[in-house]
Amino acid sequence: MYRYDEFDSRLVAERIEQFSDQVARRLDGRLTEDQFKPLRLMNGVYLQLHAYMLRVAIPYGELNAARLRALADIARRYDKGYGHFTTRTNIQFNWPALVDVPHILKDLARVEMHAIQTSGNCIRNVTTDALAGIAADEVEDPRPWCELIRQWSTFHPEFTFLPRKFKIAVIGAPKDRAAMRTHDIGLEIVRDDTGALGFRLFVGGGQGRLPHIASELKSFIPAEELFAWLTATLRVYNRHGRRDNIHKARIKILVASLGLDAFRAEVEEAFAALPKAPLAVPEAEVERIKAYFAPRPYAAAPPRFAAFDRALMTDPAFARWTRNNLRPHKQPGYAAVVISLKPVGGVPGDATAEQMDRVADLAERFSFDQVRVTYEQNLLLPHVAMDDLPELHAALGRAGLAEANAGLAADIISCPGLDYCSLANARSIPVAQALSERLSDPVFQDAVGEVRINISGCINACGHHHVGHIGILGVDKQGEEFYQITLGGSPDETASIGQIVGKGLPGEAVAPAIERVLKAYLARRDAGERFIDTLRRLGADPFKEAIYEAA
Amino acid sequence: MKILTANRLADGAVVWLALGGRWSTEFEDAVRLDPEPAAAALAQAEAQPGRFVAPYLIEADAAGVERRERLRESIRADGPTAGHSLENV
Amino acid sequence: MRLLEAGERFGADLPEIGLDELAGSNAIVALRAGGETEAAPILAARERIGRLVVAFSGFKDGRGFSLAAILREGGFQGELIATGDLIPDHAPMLARCGFDAAELPVGASVEDWRRALGSFSAAYQPAADHAATVWARRGAPLKAQVEALNAELRDAPASEIVQAALTRFPGRVAVLSSFGAEAAVGLHLVAEQDASVPVLFLDTDRHFIPTLDYRDQLTERLGLTDVRSLRPVEAETHDPKGDLWRSNPDACCDLRKVKPLASVRPDFDVLITGRKRIHGGTRLRLPPFELVEGQIRVNPLANWSTDEIEAYFDANTLPRHPLTQGGYRSIGCWPCTQPSSEDEDARAGRWKGLDKTECGIHMPSRWVAEEIARRAS
Ligand code: SF4
Ligand code: SF4
Repeated sequence: MYRYDEFDSRLVAERIEQFSDQVARRLDGRLTEDQFKPLRLMNGVYLQLHAYMLRVAIPYGELNAARLRALADIARRYDKGYGHFTTRTNIQFNWPALVDVPHILKDLARVEMHAIQTSGNCIRNVTTDALAGIAADEVEDPRPWCELIRQWSTFHPEFTFLPRKFKIAVIGAPKDRAAMRTHDIGLEIVRDDTGALGFRLFVGGGQGRLPHIASELKSFIPAEELFAWLTATLRVYNRHGRRDNIHKARIKILVASLGLDAFRAEVEEAFAALPKAPLAVPEAEVERIKAYFAPRPYAAAPPRFAAFDRALMTDPAFARWTRNNLRPHKQPGYAAVVISLKPVGGVPGDATAEQMDRVADLAERFSFDQVRVTYEQNLLLPHVAMDDLPELHAALGRAGLAEANAGLAADIISCPGLDYCSLANARSIPVAQALSERLSDPVFQDAVGEVRINISGCINACGHHHVGHIGILGVDKQGEEFYQITLGGSPDETASIGQIVGKGLPGEAVAPAIERVLKAYLARRDAGERFIDTLRRLGADPFKEAIYEAA
Repeated sequence: MKILTANRLADGAVVWLALGGRWSTEFEDAVRLDPEPAAAALAQAEAQPGRFVAPYLIEADAAGVERRERLRESIRADGPTAGHSLENV
Repeated sequence: MRLLEAGERFGADLPEIGLDELAGSNAIVALRAGGETEAAPILAARERIGRLVVAFSGFKDGRGFSLAAILREGGFQGELIATGDLIPDHAPMLARCGFDAAELPVGASVEDWRRALGSFSAAYQPAADHAATVWARRGAPLKAQVEALNAELRDAPASEIVQAALTRFPGRVAVLSSFGAEAAVGLHLVAEQDASVPVLFLDTDRHFIPTLDYRDQLTERLGLTDVRSLRPVEAETHDPKGDLWRSNPDACCDLRKVKPLASVRPDFDVLITGRKRIHGGTRLRLPPFELVEGQIRVNPLANWSTDEIEAYFDANTLPRHPLTQGGYRSIGCWPCTQPSSEDEDARAGRWKGLDKTECGIHMPSRWVAEEIARRAS
């Protein structure tokens, strides 16, 4: 994991000083709320329904025990004992007082964390594949590039007052596990014919009111030109993106209105005019950062996994958990473990301070002091030795964290919705809870297998409903909550936007309708077909029927 | 009739204008105002940016908040309907 | 970047940018442009635009930042002034994107702006201000920077050297002052730009009383708001009789100067000193910027002559150190300072009769340690 040097620490400290000053100026009236708002947002402070909310950056989802414990500590001392992990692998605290935020930021700085650019019309926290450095299909570990982009984008003088927020994701494998194509800029690490490292550059992905899947802007940009291409793209956007209509201000609208080819021509022109030498990716810096992500000192795999095999044969709960929650590790003898934050009837993505502390302990004990946050709002222990799995599973069970539903129907992505969010139309959490209870039968879930169900409380789509295989969108009809169902979305390399199937359902009708959809799938699938495959093969009609079929 | 509400600047807590110009953190204390005094009270709150953020008026009658805003305002008044905050209030 | 107080109204009556004016005119003109203005026509006429005022139409509208960056990259050399709906927090970004000045909105606090301008002491990414990036500073850190600064500013006026130090290392600069015979000049140069820059005074406990009085007098006269007296730590243990200067002046200086200065080392990357080549001895080849153990020493007065110093005192009616009347031309601690005659180095009166010319605070500490060991043996 990357560690701060004196420059990183000092810049974060200076930002805290600056923000403390901004808070002081707001409190004594030198800043109006209008002026303060963009500044507090750039430090992750929102005003929600009940209170302020603080969003803390977890750059590309990486944590260690100290950081997780610091988050737990903040949850206890300044909040109500819990936090909410988001699809952009950040954490949100729902109840901090504005006057406490400078103190929280100082606590965070002690463990090399911050809330810089977690909101506002600037370049946000960079996200990546939760299996970075682990997956066998990887061309190269994307994390050093994420860290480099984090640094490059931090306090960027030109791109801090953009027309709208700007999200970047980097993946290192052809398989997209980070919803890269839903980002304003997506980067996929590739090699060209000569073996040189570079990126496929995608642009114009985004959700919200007018969802778009990102298009490929360049099929290959040499790695050393990364910053020049990012600068060129952002510059075209900053100069020409719409500022008159907040709903049309994202880069996706600019790309769509100009057309991809015209937009590309603009970017290429901007690129041609840039001074290349100062923007060249500094090689020494890449090497310096890469050193932080070197492989862990793994142990050699034993000839057979005695403890693991024994537990598999004697403990069905363990066996099911290994089937659903393990992800293959390129190091023989190790696995990555998804810690599901989706207990039956729970709030997707929430973790209590105690749970964070427990996971921190387990990371130290079993995973080289590393934890990650995933796109699906779960946690992940990246490097666990096979024979440690039974003990880890037992310990997770004691912390209420051994739910064996990773990637299954009850592994629901959900935004906070109207229970917290001031922009919401409807609640998300109760719908997620009802659904996870309805689908709690493990036999049914295992039969259905891989399916992505996503819930947003409004069209802003923080819960990624557009790219859920099944999406649920809260709408407001004269003060009543209704939920529109979308089908056919997908966040991966075959990304697609789900289509609304018909009129909205009242909250209590959602879970039964989704269950009927999944049953319709079980009845119609071919052998080996995932839900999304069957849906794509048959079209939405049979599933629509299932949704509106009189119960 | 209208109710005046805002968030408190320093800690973000939801507050309502109560009797006698007092601000309360309890919805039960909120006073119902006629349109004119309501507008005046709103202007007064807006003139105190050092105390309040985002003050606004809610349509309400004796029975409570008007239907359109009822759910949102009841969640503002009573807190989230689900999740960990329920165990910790 | 200069901060123009509201009321100077730069650009309010300038013509809005228009191709026509540019096409017809050969004169060097001043123009006003909105942040959204296309860069190409401005660049095409860049030779003839002496000043461009860029108006920000809303504080959330960041187009003016890109415009400035594009213009600078495209070779625009005229003056760039930002105006309009600006807030202090824009200051560092404006400076980095290539603006020379910002016109503060009516009612803005210059103090807030100045503080905001110095918010960050480093930047990761390259920008139009050409400040060395964190990446460059990590790689070939200060050495290359110092070389670049010397190449750029070797013959620059002292005020520019001071300004470069203050703006390129905001928040990381302190002035080291002895409050000696010529100290008023350097302090005045700094205070002119920012009287809140920390001033470090090594209070050795061995200073002449008039020096301490002079320190207070200058502090008040120049409006210095942050003069810090650094005192020796545990002097009683290391110099119980108070006569270490007699037996081992190097160890004494180490105790009373080098160590106290080292204690604030983490707070400052840059120290402005008053050293001059005319001091002679080891200072004959003094550049304006030098690297001393990872810290930059700035010597804005390096190439000043005695006459220039005298003239500066007079021009700015600066008070003199009381002891200069008595022939002291370089003033340190009382046990180690004597008057020097006109035909000697100014510093000849320091540690007179000893094989010692520097107290060590301008020398790498390893060198000091070796010296102490050498002399003690
Ligand atoms: S999707 Fe809407 S309701 Fe949900 S968190 Fe985002 S803005 Fe709030
Ligand atoms: S100048 Fe003399 S008295 Fe002062 S610290 Fe050095 S040796 Fe000691």
